[in-house]
Order: sequence, then structure tokens, then C-alpha cells
Amino acid sequence: MTSTTLSRPTSASPTAPPKRKKPRRRGTALLGWIAEHTVLVALGILFIAPIVFVTLTSLMGSDQTLTASLWPNPFRWDNYVTVFTTVPLLQWFGNSALYAVLATVFMLVSSVPAAYALAKIKFRGANVLFTAIIIAMLLPPQVTAIPIYVMWSNLGLTGSLWPLILPNLLGDAFSIFLLRQFFLTIPTEYSDAARIDGNGEFGVLWRVVLPMAKPGIAATAIFMFFSSWNDYYGPLLYTSENPDAWPVAYGLASFRGVHGTDWGLTMAMTMLVTIPVVLIFFFAQRVFVEGITLTGVKG
Amino acid sequence: MTATIAREGRTATARPSRARTKRNLVTLALLAPALLGLIIFFVYPLIASVYYSFTRFDLVSPPEWIGLRNYTYLFTQDPNVWQATLNTLWFVVIWVPVKIVFALLIAGLLARAKSASGFWRTLFYLPALVPPVASVVAFVFLFNPGTGPVNQILKAIGIQGPLWFNDPAWSKPSLVLLGVWVMGDIMIIFLASLLDVPREQYEAASLDGASGLQQVRYVTLPSISPVLLFAVVTGVIAAIQYFTEAAVASGVASGKAVVGEGIGNNLGYPNGSLLTYTQWLYVRGFSTYQLGYASALAVLLFVVASVILILLLRRFKAFTPEGAR
Amino acid sequence: MKLRSHRIIAAVAVTAAAALTLAGCSGGGSSSSFESTTPKELSGTVSFWHFFSDREAKVIQSVVDDFEKKNPKVTVEVHSGQDDEKLRKAIATGSKVDVGLSYSTDIVGNFCSTGAFRSLNKVIERDKVDMSQFSPTVKSYTEFKGTRCSMPMLADVYGLYYNKKLLQAAGFQSPPKTLGELETMADKLTTFNPDGSIKTLGFNPTMGWYENAASHYGPAADADWLKADGTSAISASPGWTDLITWQKAFVDKIGWDKLNTFTSGLGQEFSADNAFQKGAVAMNLDGEYRTAFIADQAKDLDYGTAPFPTADGHTELYGGGYLTGNIIGISKGSKHPELAWALLKYLTTDTGALVKLANGLKNVPTTTDALKSPDLEVSEQYKTFLDIASNEHVATTPASPLGAGYQQTFQDWWNKYQSEGGDLKSGLKSVDKQIDDALALTTGP
Repeated sequence: MTSTTLSRPTSASPTAPPKRKKPRRRGTALLGWIAEHTVLVALGILFIAPIVFVTLTSLMGSDQTLTASLWPNPFRWDNYVTVFTTVPLLQWFGNSALYAVLATVFMLVSSVPAAYALAKIKFRGANVLFTAIIIAMLLPPQVTAIPIYVMWSNLGLTGSLWPLILPNLLGDAFSIFLLRQFFLTIPTEYSDAARIDGNGEFGVLWRVVLPMAKPGIAATAIFMFFSSWNDYYGPLLYTSENPDAWPVAYGLASFRGVHGTDWGLTMAMTMLVTIPVVLIFFFAQRVFVEGITLTGVKG
Repeated sequence: MTATIAREGRTATARPSRARTKRNLVTLALLAPALLGLIIFFVYPLIASVYYSFTRFDLVSPPEWIGLRNYTYLFTQDPNVWQATLNTLWFVVIWVPVKIVFALLIAGLLARAKSASGFWRTLFYLPALVPPVASVVAFVFLFNPGTGPVNQILKAIGIQGPLWFNDPAWSKPSLVLLGVWVMGDIMIIFLASLLDVPREQYEAASLDGASGLQQVRYVTLPSISPVLLFAVVTGVIAAIQYFTEAAVASGVASGKAVVGEGIGNNLGYPNGSLLTYTQWLYVRGFSTYQLGYASALAVLLFVVASVILILLLRRFKAFTPEGAR
Repeated sequence: MKLRSHRIIAAVAVTAAAALTLAGCSGGGSSSSFESTTPKELSGTVSFWHFFSDREAKVIQSVVDDFEKKNPKVTVEVHSGQDDEKLRKAIATGSKVDVGLSYSTDIVGNFCSTGAFRSLNKVIERDKVDMSQFSPTVKSYTEFKGTRCSMPMLADVYGLYYNKKLLQAAGFQSPPKTLGELETMADKLTTFNPDGSIKTLGFNPTMGWYENAASHYGPAADADWLKADGTSAISASPGWTDLITWQKAFVDKIGWDKLNTFTSGLGQEFSADNAFQKGAVAMNLDGEYRTAFIADQAKDLDYGTAPFPTADGHTELYGGGYLTGNIIGISKGSKHPELAWALLKYLTTDTGALVKLANGLKNVPTTTDALKSPDLEVSEQYKTFLDIASNEHVATTPASPLGAGYQQTFQDWWNKYQSEGGDLKSGLKSVDKQIDDALALTTGP
């Protein structure tokens, strides 16, 4: 703290890349604070504006949405009800939930053991396997899409979400990678001790490692859940011809096609699609942020 | 075979088979699903894609071998592959850095703000939660050149707004704006990592007389470089595969709703500016059912993506497998 | 170590073999074929995939219900909202589709040559279906190179819709007959907002908007698509040059940016906000089905219909227009071809069914009996289209193994050309080349 007399605060302008600094002299400190917060507020307004506009539009009648007026007049609360009757929204939510939940559960069952083995067991070929997993993780899915599609069509499962759910029973590359990184952070002493106590690998995994890796596992599960929930390309490929199997992401994109663009309804649907996600976020906030920072920092 | 040296509680080389075998079996059991998955959903399709790329295949009849015809067409006759590639590279080279720089700047601001930091953090992260399809549809509506709020507001302050998603020159930048709006997930990672930078290093640097900018260059950046690299790698992967936002934006902006239109009708609207490589692949495969040709496109994608990623990964040491600890 | 490698190799081999076996099969599993004599009893379930939705889907359903009443042991499973892409996907990946209905003739060339739709030649002969009840143009677009893999089910005809009130207010008593007249009248009918932006447009020349497509404009100048050998005739046909030059000049006169801004703010085509129905556009190119939409969504609109204007140098063509049709076929993998054929015959040749469909969808009936039927509701505006359909100058787009690909290639180029300009001749030649290259890739050695 005494070094404040030696250095001049240089981070007063918010455009300079900012960093944590020691307290500065009061005058310039106040200016700095004002400048930073002005920028924050301005950006904050810009960031919240789309959400505000979407909400406002969702309450407009279709006669108003394509006009210049920005405030609904009258307020069409019934848009939110009409969406449910115009479109099988509940069925779409059900499909999304089925897809996301099953995919996550299957992924955990198959990927946790594999990640554990890669992290905690020395075996020949571990490096090769891990490299293969990294490559599989980084590869664009379109590279392998066609033969996999042919395979599923021969099995008669196209037109449903199963081609998207079932592969998770055989592991998901990104999840395995993430989980391995988490497992690596658990000190070996614990797993070694458990082995000496006479536990087999399954025992070590189940009794020692898993309980300690809960945040990491939760974070990985959340990633899987949301990537399935938001998936558009997968359902486009596998369920486009069967409206009964449409999840919410695909339904929203197709909604404006089939029923003419009533923008009020479309925006209402956009809100309805977003709200569950936001709710889950608020309830699981801590796990969310913790998980994301852990993956980013460890990854 | 009897060893003269006693061994306690550890797998003995004198009797390697039983304990080792059991351990190997268990390891195999743990790995089995993943191994199977790799083979079925990674190794096999890669090989099969290469095979299909030498055929003419429309899924209705069996594949028909045509040798290098697909590749000849790809490199000399395909009217769209060049534009699709350039568009995709545009996203890699422009969309990724802009997102990252912006996320870094916001994270930096938040790192300094002490009051209500949780509130700001949530605010800037919220848009990232919106499902991508929803955010694209919303953005196209908001940026409608004639009646959207954005141009209305610009008009009110005297600026003639561009045609955004309906103008070939502005459609990709519009998607960059969208990308910036949803940069929350990267921003959170940057924030955590900026907060992790040891204060002593900053103090030491300023004792040495370093200016603000110099402190950033010599203290901040090196400290957050793993996270920075992670963001770049994941960003580049996303850019190479860029599909959903571009496809949905083209569809919504073109306003086409001939009842029962497929993705092929609005491809890359406007004027092919949003045509990305993966969209082109999808259309050739599942719109016109030229699966052989689409496989050739897939093989090319694999080669190019691998090259880009190898170049990036060379600098990313954390990806080196350290083996088991 | 050795033990593990062995196991791994064994596992790999087994899965690879399994995977290759899976890959070896192509779509569909086994199917059944037609019988040698017409079956007397029909029973079972047949799946029917079509592209209609909402109000139009209900019309289809009512006719399907009639079929089920006539064949009490047969159940029809209807899948609506399936466009060509989805239909193709479903046919290629198995036996889910028995009967497929497409909204245009584009897929005929492709589906007939690949066998995605079965050849109907044999059963047509076996059941002695009278093919003379269809007009020659209609018959021509259901077959490709001698294989008839589809039957026509109602047709779409395109013409000019005009807002009578707006025209009269501007001093016009009758619709334009040439493209030149169209442009002059449109000029007078266009009004502006105080800030200079367009308020109402006389006619929207934007290519790619609503039904403005090259295929719909072609007949106005006798423009050719393909040569007899299937390669492109676009650059060689003077009709296209005339049309493109006219359209580009029209667009440039209004100003592309102004036009694009206005166009992007227009309502969506099949919603009640349709620009013509809302009076935002005074004259518009559209199909005969629009009369049904207007009756349903804009009853008070005072409008008229007429054949679409011809190019200035082709006034002899007036009265004709673009004709396309819905076509219906039986999928390759169908397990119930006889049931499918019975449904298909009903939907395409039963006069009662066709009249019901025509009245509900306001599409043009395709058999002579249906056209003459006293039950056919013909409004003044709808009659125009019946006349166009039977006019000698009506034209359709040729079938090709590329499906609609050649049209899409030309359309994409034209969409770009209208805003970016460039060298017309070399542009058209490049379109030719793309189409010819694509054809070679699809069918060549």
C-alpha cells in the first residue's frame, strides 16, 4: 500500500486494458470509478436492450409488430397462451427434456469410468487413446455425419431423437476430456490409499474419487444438458420429417415457417423457450459458474 | 518360479498373470463403452466417409464407384465451395478475435468493479443462456431494416441504418454482433482467471516502474494465457463448424415461407454471404442427396480442420496427455 | 499386455465387421411389388405424406376420409407439412412412406430416374387407367424418359392479381397486358412516405420474393430452360435476356436499397399479412390458390385476376402462363403398394374427390371430367386460371435428374444479379456451365 506514492495510477481511462490495482489517490480514483461505471452502465443497457425489445414485441398484436411503434398497445398477454394452442409447445418441451436428460445420464454412465481410467490408471496406450479422444472432440461433427446417418437409417431410427441420445451410451469425447481434467486434480494419495485398503478400481472410483469430484461431474453434466437442449443441427438432421419428435430448438426455427410470421407469437415463443434455461441457471448458479470457471481454467 | 525375495501387497512379477490380468480387465471394462464409441462413431465414419467420397450415392440405391470425379468437381467446378470456404474462414479470422477481445475487455471491467459485481456478472452472462436459435430469430427481427427497433432508434438520432441481415455486406457483421452479445460464457472464464492473477506480481511490476499497459503485457497476459488459448481453440472449432446461426438467420431474413421449404431454398441469403462450409455440406448431402459428393466435402473439411487445429494445439501444452497420476 | 492387445484387436474387428455390414445395406429394407391382377379386397394401413398444412391440410383430410369410407377396411395414416426434402429423406431411409405428394413437378426427373418413386406404367395398363383425361402438358410433367412414376393431382397456374380499388384510384380500368405497361402502371401506383421510403408499391420486381421466381416468369417470353439432351439452354434463349434486362431496369429505377428495405418489412407470404392482401403491393404475380387464401383471410379485398403480362416482343403469348402441378407417387420401399395405388387412383382420377379438392384448395383440377363438373365452384377471379390452364401458350419447367437444381442455380444467380449487376452474357454462360457440370456429376460416367 505504501507504493501508492511511487506510482501514478495509469488505469483511469476505461479503454486501457484494466487490471486489479491498489487503491489510488482520491481525486483520480473518483474519476476512474465514474468512467468505468459509465461504460459498464452503457454496455449494460445495450446488452439488456434486446431482451427488453423481445419482451415488448411478445406482447404486441401482429398488426403492430411490423410497424414503427415500440410500445405494445394494447398489451396482448394472450400471445403467451396462443403460442401453446398454435403449436405443440409442451410436446416440444417434453422432447427437449427427454433428449437432454437421457443424453446426460447416458453420458455420465459411460464417460465417468473412461475418464477415471485415463486419469488414474497407468496403462499402455493411454496416450494414444487420449489423443484420439481429443481429435474426436475437436472434429466438426459434419465430417462423420454422413456414414453415421446411413447407419441409423439402416437401423430404421431416423425420424426420432434416438440417434442423438443413444451414442452417449458409448461415451462423449468432450465430456471424457473434461472429466479427466477434473479427476486429475484429485490428489493421487487418496486413490492410492484406497487401493492399499484393498479396494478394486471400481471401489476406488465409487467410494473415493466420485464424491470428491462432484463439482466437476456436475459441471460436465450441465454442459451436456445444455448442449443437448440447444442442439439444432442434430434434430435438423434426424427429426425434421417427424414433427412429433421435434425438440424446442428445432420447433422454434420451423415455427415461423409454417404459421406465417406472427412476430408477436414468435417472440413470445422465444421468451418461453428461454425462461426454463434462465430459471435453471438461477437455481444452480453456483454450480454453473463454478463449473464453467473450472473447465476454462483447467482446460 | 518361486521368488526368493518376499513381496508384500504389490503385484509381484513372479506371479504377474492374476493380479495384473484382473487389473487389465477392470481397466478394459471401464474403457469399453468409450472405446466402442470411438470405433463406431469416429474411426468407422472417418473411413467410411473416405470410401463414400469416391462414389455416387443417393441413399435410395447402393453406392456406385466413380473414382475421383467428386474431387474434380469440388476443386474445379463447384460454384459455391469457394465462397463457402471464404465465408467460414471469415468467421474464423474475424468472429473469433472480436468475441474474445470483447469478452476480455468486459471481464477486465468487471474485475475492477467491486460494487454489485455479481449483478453485472449475471447481466452480461444472461444472453449466453438464450438458446442460439431463439437469439438468432430475435436478432433478425430486431435488426429488420424497415421496421426493427434498431433502425428505428438510429433513425431517431439521424442515422440511416444499414440493411443488416438483408445486405450481403452487413450480414456477417450482424452475426458478429450476435456473437458479441452472447460472449458471456467466455467472459466468465476470463473473469475468473483475471481475478486469479497474483497481486504481488502487479505490485512488483509497478515497483519496477512499469506503466499500466506494460503491466498488462508482462503480468496479466502471461498469467491468463492458458485460458486465452482455450478460448481461441474452442472459438476456432465453433467457427469452422458454424451452421445454426447462419442457417437460421438466412431463413428468417429472407422471409421465405413457401409452405414446406427446406433449408436449401434460402441458402446463404443474402446472396450467399452467409453460406458456410458446413451448410453447403448439409445441402449437398441431405437436400439434393448427393451423399458421395458431400462425403468428399467432409473429407476436405477434416483435412483443413486438422491442419488448423494442429497448428493451434502445438502451442497449447495443457493438451499433452500427462498419463495417469 | 498381449492379452489386452488381443482383446482390443478382437473388439475392433468385430465392431468393424458389424459396422460394415450395416453400411452395406442401403435404405429401405425389403419392399413388396404390385400384383399381376387388380386385387378385389383392400385392407390394411397405408401412410400418406403430403406438404399441405393448416387449412389446406384439412381439405386433404376430408378427401382422405371419403376414401376411407369407400374402403372401410383401409386406414390412411396422414403426415402433413412434409416438403420435398423431408419426403426424400423419409423415402430414402425406409418404408415409412407409401404415398407421397409433392407440391411441384421438380422432383419427377430425379425420383423417376433413381426409382425413389416406383414406375406406374404396369399398373396403369393393368387397371386400364384412361390417360387421355389429362392434358398433354400435365401428362408430360409426371414422367421422365418414358417412366411414369407419378400421377398429377391438381395443378397450379400463375397469373396477375391486381387491387381494383388502387388501380381505379390511379385512373386504370384494366390490368396491364405487357411488361412495359406493367412497369408504367406500377410507377403511377407507387406512393411514398414523407421520409422518402416506399409506402405502397405498384409492383414488386424483387426476384426471390414471394412467387417471383425465374420459372414463373419464363413463359412470359417463351424462355427455354433445357435442351433436348438435358443440358442448359439458358444463355442461348433470348427470352431470358429480355426478362432479366427488364427486371433489372425496373429494380434500378426504384433503387435497390429502398426496395430491399421495403421488401424486408413486408408480411409473410401465407399469413394474413400477405402484402397483396394488405394492400401494400397493388399488383402481384401469384398462383390460383391465392383466391382461397383471400377468401379466407381478406374477404373484403376488391381484386381482379388476369393472365400475367407478356414481354413486349411476345404479345402473341398473352393468355398463357406458368403451369406446375402437385404430383403423387408410390415410394420405392412401400410395403403396401396395392393400397397405395388404390389411394393414388382415387386422389387423381375420382371426379368427386378432385372437385372437392379443387373447391377447397382452389387449385386447378387436372382431369377433363373434373373441369367440366357442375359442382366445381368457379368464381370470376378463379375462372381466369382455368382459362390460362387450357390456353395453348401455357408452359411448364422440364424434368431433369437434377430435380429443381437447375432452377435453383439460375435463381441464385439472378438474385445476386439484381442487386450486384455485372456482365449479363457471361453471367448466363456461367449459369449454363454450372448446370451442365452438375448434370455430368449426377449422371455422367
